[in-house]
Amino acid sequence: MEFLVWLENTPIANAIRTIPWLYPAFETGHYIGLSLLVGGILLIDLRVLGMARGLPLKSMIGLLPFVWAGFIINVLTGSMLFIYGATNFGPNGAFQLKMAFMVVAGLNALAFDVAVRRSGGVWVTADRPPALVKGFATLSLVFWLCVVTTGRWMAYL
Amino acid sequence: MAFLEWLQSTWVGVLVAESLWGYPLLETIHSLGIAMLIGSLGLINLRVLGYKPDLPLLGMQQLLPLAWVGFTLNAISGTLLFTSDAVFFFESYTFRIKMVLIVLGGINAAMLGQRVFREAAGMPATPPAASTKWIAVTSLVFWFGAVCAGRLIAYTP
Repeated sequence: MEFLVWLENTPIANAIRTIPWLYPAFETGHYIGLSLLVGGILLIDLRVLGMARGLPLKSMIGLLPFVWAGFIINVLTGSMLFIYGATNFGPNGAFQLKMAFMVVAGLNALAFDVAVRRSGGVWVTADRPPALVKGFATLSLVFWLCVVTTGRWMAYL
Repeated sequence: MAFLEWLQSTWVGVLVAESLWGYPLLETIHSLGIAMLIGSLGLINLRVLGYKPDLPLLGMQQLLPLAWVGFTLNAISGTLLFTSDAVFFFESYTFRIKMVLIVLGGINAAMLGQRVFREAAGMPATPPAASTKWIAVTSLVFWFGAVCAGRLIAYTP
């Protein structure tokens, strides 16, 4: 808790408090990041699950840089938003759930990545993702949906 | 104005505004719709601009159902959110700008679809004309602009 108080009194947090457009700017940036991250992961996961078959699976998986860009933007903007209200957000149950879902989503993404490498790209080229990989894709959709939902609930708890 | 006041006093408007779960649930759905719309239309626009040429141009049409699902989810959730505070939203300049950007985005999408999918169908694969690429650029500006405007409604007159 002391750490959270300390965070809220850093120069960054003070700047966000005194410069009125900073918080809306970071929030908006967080939404742009969300569009890239969730938008991108939606395209990849749905493609693995068979949507838009006319688009090569390999090319769609190649959209991951967008997902990463969105993720990095949101880690940065999210950190700024968090620092500003650390004593509020830290103990917030919805925030804690959101972080937990992000960890799980990250582990799931890692598992997906390992599956791609292990296969040497065979099922990617053949466009026949194994059931396990389809499972990872489905879980990915669920986890990121939970991240977005718990993120929104933060303001209401 | 009387219509707007009536609207926010209906059981729908009151339910959304006052129930614990109504507003956050609708906002979450709205965020997901954004991810679907930005993901699909964003990728189509980028492809028109030459990004990831390994994606077949005509095949990008297969992403349109996702765009429509996203748009429909947002039209419905957006309308319901609007009813909860109709007078405020209607009078907000940022909200009005957002609506204009969405209309422009929609017109752009129709123009792009006409050129890239209907005119190009059945013809040998040629890269999109410069004017078509400009439509793709403005389309990205409109849709990302709408996302930003949406988030800023709460902070601006």
